Amino acid sequence: MIQFSPEQITEELQEFAARLAQGAKMLGEVGEIEAGVSPRDPVYQEDKLTLYRYRPRVAQPHPVPLLIVYALVNRPYMMDLQEDRSLIRGLLDAGLDVYLIDWGYADAEDRWLTLGDYVHRYIGHCVDVLRERCAQDTINLLGVCQGGALSLCFAALYPAKIRNLITMVTPVDFHTPDNLLTHLIRHVEVDALVDTFGNLPGQMLNFTFLSLSPFRLTGQKYVDVVDILDDVQALKNFLRMEKWIFDSPDQAGEAFRQFAKEFFQQNKLVRGEVMIGEQRVELRNITMPVLNVYATQDHLVPPAASKALAEHCGSRDYSEFSFKGGHIGIYVSSRAQREVPPTIASWLLER
Amino acid sequence: MADQTIKSDAGMFDVELLLKQARTYLAFGEQTRQFAERFQESLRNEADWVKALRQHFDLFREAMAQSAADPNVNPELARLWTLNLDTWQQAVTSLPPVPFALPDQQGAAWGDYQRAQADYLELLRQAALAALDLMEQRLHEQTGDAQPPGSLRGLYNLWVDCNEETYGRMLRSPEYSLVSGRLFNTLFACYPKDGIHP
Repeated sequence: MIQFSPEQITEELQEFAARLAQGAKMLGEVGEIEAGVSPRDPVYQEDKLTLYRYRPRVAQPHPVPLLIVYALVNRPYMMDLQEDRSLIRGLLDAGLDVYLIDWGYADAEDRWLTLGDYVHRYIGHCVDVLRERCAQDTINLLGVCQGGALSLCFAALYPAKIRNLITMVTPVDFHTPDNLLTHLIRHVEVDALVDTFGNLPGQMLNFTFLSLSPFRLTGQKYVDVVDILDDVQALKNFLRMEKWIFDSPDQAGEAFRQFAKEFFQQNKLVRGEVMIGEQRVELRNITMPVLNVYATQDHLVPPAASKALAEHCGSRDYSEFSFKGGHIGIYVSSRAQREVPPTIASWLLER
Repeated sequence: MADQTIKSDAGMFDVELLLKQARTYLAFGEQTRQFAERFQESLRNEADWVKALRQHFDLFREAMAQSAADPNVNPELARLWTLNLDTWQQAVTSLPPVPFALPDQQGAAWGDYQRAQADYLELLRQAALAALDLMEQRLHEQTGDAQPPGSLRGLYNLWVDCNEETYGRMLRSPEYSLVSGRLFNTLFACYPKDGIHP
């Protein structure tokens, strides 16, 4: 503060205002923002779900398909954001045959969908479609974040259908002391929420995520972007990420009720008390090889919450990969592009 | 047939978010400029730098406290530390409106919600004031080997760091968990008990 004068401040403010005025023009001219860049084809649809196959980038992809189960929260194009930031492209380049479940956008007609619908029906049907399509008894499953928790449930209930399981930034123990999301939802009356609104509005979830770091995520970021308003590529990258952040689907009411209460508030997954439909999820039934990928600086799913899988699953071939970065960096950072797809691919190809 | 990529035009981006923050930053700059002028003045009259800095921060703190008591006094300055409440209110406006003609019970519920909002705001205010103390401390520390901020942006970044630190401590407290839970729950209670969904 003592290193600059009022005159310097005035000058800096004038420069900022000028850049902002010029940049507002650029925002109007930047054109379409694309996200999800790798070519893909729909191979199965059910209700709002679409199962996509990404076009292979090698002549002979691996015969065992890899099914990616993304979270119900936010949209899965984060896995394929742009050409130089795409975990999916990295997996394709490594020779894998990659499929992804796009959940679509839940609306009023999905209000009564339960976790049973998501696990038994939606994931179950996609797994069976791929087993038949690829003529394989078992397939590889990669669950991401909340999609990882759903994948754990599926793998525990249907171990005979899964050859290898990969979990990525996946919460398992929801009551580790550093779990901020659990801390924030602890006193929320979930029944009242669902009974009032039906589906959970995406904006409410977004508030929760932004409230973890408001000065950076809703303040500083928009001051900093003024510096790059004259750089079309950097601006497009920023807008692409903004699009993803605010692209928050509503959550199907009953499924959210169960996930929020039984996973977050009551931590039933590690206690073997989660019921998916009529069936109890016992993590020790997960006996296939497991690769657990977590991020060391993850503020949403702390490493301890993920690493708890080691003591609860029944696999004798359990490995971990510790990624140096955060919950978002694990998808889009250049380090992630270098490290994550090759690690997953080589682990899979060895099995 | 290949699936189309997901496209949007720049219009999808809420330019107002950027402009709001830009205006807030400009308000921060203007406030800082005014204080820098007074600070230079007080340095001329006060040989003790630490004392001058403390006086300077007292003024800043006073301005923040004023904006807390009445955000209309300086709404742009108030926005610096009420960001989270702003995000909450945006989320609330995306919901169906609270029924206009409130029966008595719901009128009481609305009062509960207002009190929860006030308590939430008070937590934010305390964290923001603690951030000013931390910022003062950091500036003191930087008079040694470390370089103090050499620009308004540097000062702003320091202010953000300090706020994230004190806010983060507050966020992890049991009190925040309770108050933010009340914020949600009292809002739900403003709606009819049988819900508003189809």
